[in-house]
Amino acid sequence: MDVTADEARSRPRGVQETQSRWAGLGSVMQYVLLLLTALVFIVPLFWMATASLKGLQEIYTFPPVWIPTQPKWENYPNAWNAAPFTRFYINTLITTFFGVGLEIVNAALTAYALVFLRFPGKNLIFIVLLAALMIPVQVTILPNYLTIAALGWLNTYQGIILPGASVAFTAFLLRQHFLTLPTALLEAARLEGAGHLQLLWRIVLPLSRPVLVTGILISVVAKWNDFLWPLIVTNRLNMRVLPIGLSYLFDREGNNQWGIIMAATIFVVMPIVILFIWAQRHIISGLIAGATKG
Amino acid sequence: MDRRTFLIRSGGAVGSLILVGCGNNSGSGSVQQPAATGEAAKAAEGKTRVVFWSSWSATSGEALQKLADEFNASQKEIFIDNQYQGTYEETAQKLATALAARQVPDMASLSEVTWNKFFLNNSLQDMTGYFTETKLDPKDYVESLIGEGTKDGKIWWVPFARSTPLFYYNRDMFKKAGLPDRGPKTWDELREWGKDLMGKGGAKKVFAYTNAKNYNAWHFQANVWQWGGAYSDKDFNILIDEGGAVEAGEWLRKFVHQDKMGYMADDQSIDFGNGLAATTQQSTGSLGGIVETAKFEVGTAMLPEQEKFGCPTGGAGLGILASAPDERKRAAFEFIRFLAKPENAASWAKTTGYMPVTKSARESKEMQAYFKENPNYQVAVEQLPKTQPQDTARLLIPNGDQTIGTGLERILVNNTPAQEAFKNVAKQLEDDAKEVKESA
Repeated sequence: MDVTADEARSRPRGVQETQSRWAGLGSVMQYVLLLLTALVFIVPLFWMATASLKGLQEIYTFPPVWIPTQPKWENYPNAWNAAPFTRFYINTLITTFFGVGLEIVNAALTAYALVFLRFPGKNLIFIVLLAALMIPVQVTILPNYLTIAALGWLNTYQGIILPGASVAFTAFLLRQHFLTLPTALLEAARLEGAGHLQLLWRIVLPLSRPVLVTGILISVVAKWNDFLWPLIVTNRLNMRVLPIGLSYLFDREGNNQWGIIMAATIFVVMPIVILFIWAQRHIISGLIAGATKG
Repeated sequence: MDRRTFLIRSGGAVGSLILVGCGNNSGSGSVQQPAATGEAAKAAEGKTRVVFWSSWSATSGEALQKLADEFNASQKEIFIDNQYQGTYEETAQKLATALAARQVPDMASLSEVTWNKFFLNNSLQDMTGYFTETKLDPKDYVESLIGEGTKDGKIWWVPFARSTPLFYYNRDMFKKAGLPDRGPKTWDELREWGKDLMGKGGAKKVFAYTNAKNYNAWHFQANVWQWGGAYSDKDFNILIDEGGAVEAGEWLRKFVHQDKMGYMADDQSIDFGNGLAATTQQSTGSLGGIVETAKFEVGTAMLPEQEKFGCPTGGAGLGILASAPDERKRAAFEFIRFLAKPENAASWAKTTGYMPVTKSARESKEMQAYFKENPNYQVAVEQLPKTQPQDTARLLIPNGDQTIGTGLERILVNNTPAQEAFKNVAKQLEDDAKEVKESA
């Protein structure tokens, strides 16, 4: 809200002072709120990290012990050796890498076609895509399982990866962004003789970097954390992935060694956290770029 | 299909898949065994390979694998391929999916809740004949446990990893309060002791109940029987809003809100272990963990009585899939027989904290020696023959456990009169029971 110079001048001085005092209080409130929000996110991670170095009694004690008195570093090797985590790591890296790759390529091609190509039934296809967004995963598990089983792909990487290779949300996300790209730029490139794939690769995707990074991050997190589908489609220990690996540490009757479970959770989420820290500058720069454009 | 039915059918992934699985009667047609890969394929060469889908991880998972390895080394005909498939619920979900895809294991671990669905679905093998042929005496199993898996005189489900609720008390506090070193005979006695426990004993509360998430409906099942009531009868008639069930609920309400002695804990093990509550009720399976984390002498006792004794069972047993070829079904039963041997049943119980499921295991030297070292565990085992299977409302009605548990939370937290809280619960249970009645 703009206050014109005249209006400001005509106000008694006291009002101005209270206003600035209020503004000061407002920014303090703002920081308090920010701090509280940050705490909501940080405390569970902090608890996870410290608990990974505690014994069971120290975890269960009340009032809580925030810093472990005698750090139990052996929780880490114990967790790593409780199940074949090296194998789980390799499996998860493979399924996440190829799963994300296929999903993004698929989504980029779909979004490009939906935005820049003209063909009959385009709107209908988009509506079907939107409808696919609303189907809960649980509904697709049985048909997917039947298909994968019929292909003889149970206990295989392709069995874990392929059902997740097309995700409606990613295609939708990219489409919405592609719509905002200036058509003049594409026209110019087309006049220079660029084909569709060249346009996508050279013009559209570079201009969509923040959204692309966001899409990849969402996809990486989803694939890295996926539990139910890999559990259902694999039977054997050597084909299992990290989230199932965590479940190997849980006791059915609740006698859990939480220190060891937390240690395992740390090395399961660590790659994702590092990826986030590395990738966030791309997202932030993208958001700023969008703001100045508007 | 209206929205509600749709939600019920699709809401829990487990539920929906099991219903889908029900559509596929697995008795006939070509059914495959999940393929062998890697090391298991090599080890199983020239042997009958039995695929066993199990639900135990951590220490229990290792104990089970050790038993499977020992069995495989003990003979040359059969190879047990033990495959961990997640929690009881996840295993059930996988099994339902696998039945639909006709790639079925030969044997699976099924919980007290999930086994019924596969039984109703005709997916389980009647094992009575195998018992006779191999001269394994069903009477060696604890009656209340084998009885639960027996329908119309036939055995469908064999007890394996069973637990029950147990009464835990803080012996240090009891001593300070000048009370005898034993659990209370009745709930009224516990209330009489309450003043001393909270006074001289130094307890903040006398007894920690728990919430729906931690299965308070399983624990309260005992109370309902102790007051002479029931959640429901065998034909799904809901009885929770009348007689003993309501009286038990009212006693609990007054104990919590008038006497201020009981309360609802998020996790009663933690509160008890930290000395906030002087006593609590928790699974026998939690005994090891509670003793490990408590900073005082832990005592255990049979559940208090009121009008009579009542205590439900919990945990899981083993089922053989009807769709497997005869040869593999017999091979799977050989493993069940192996697990029932006194030394094996005893070592499984000792490592995991589950109850020994056979009388011969209970009487074995190994187990008797273990009782001497762990008198708390012996109490749990002595209580076992007095237990009984839970009422249908919690076992068979979809979401029954949580429906009852949420009603209990209203009494525990909101001071809602038991009659009113349970009337709503009964209505919900009756609605949800309709579906089961139709499919049964």
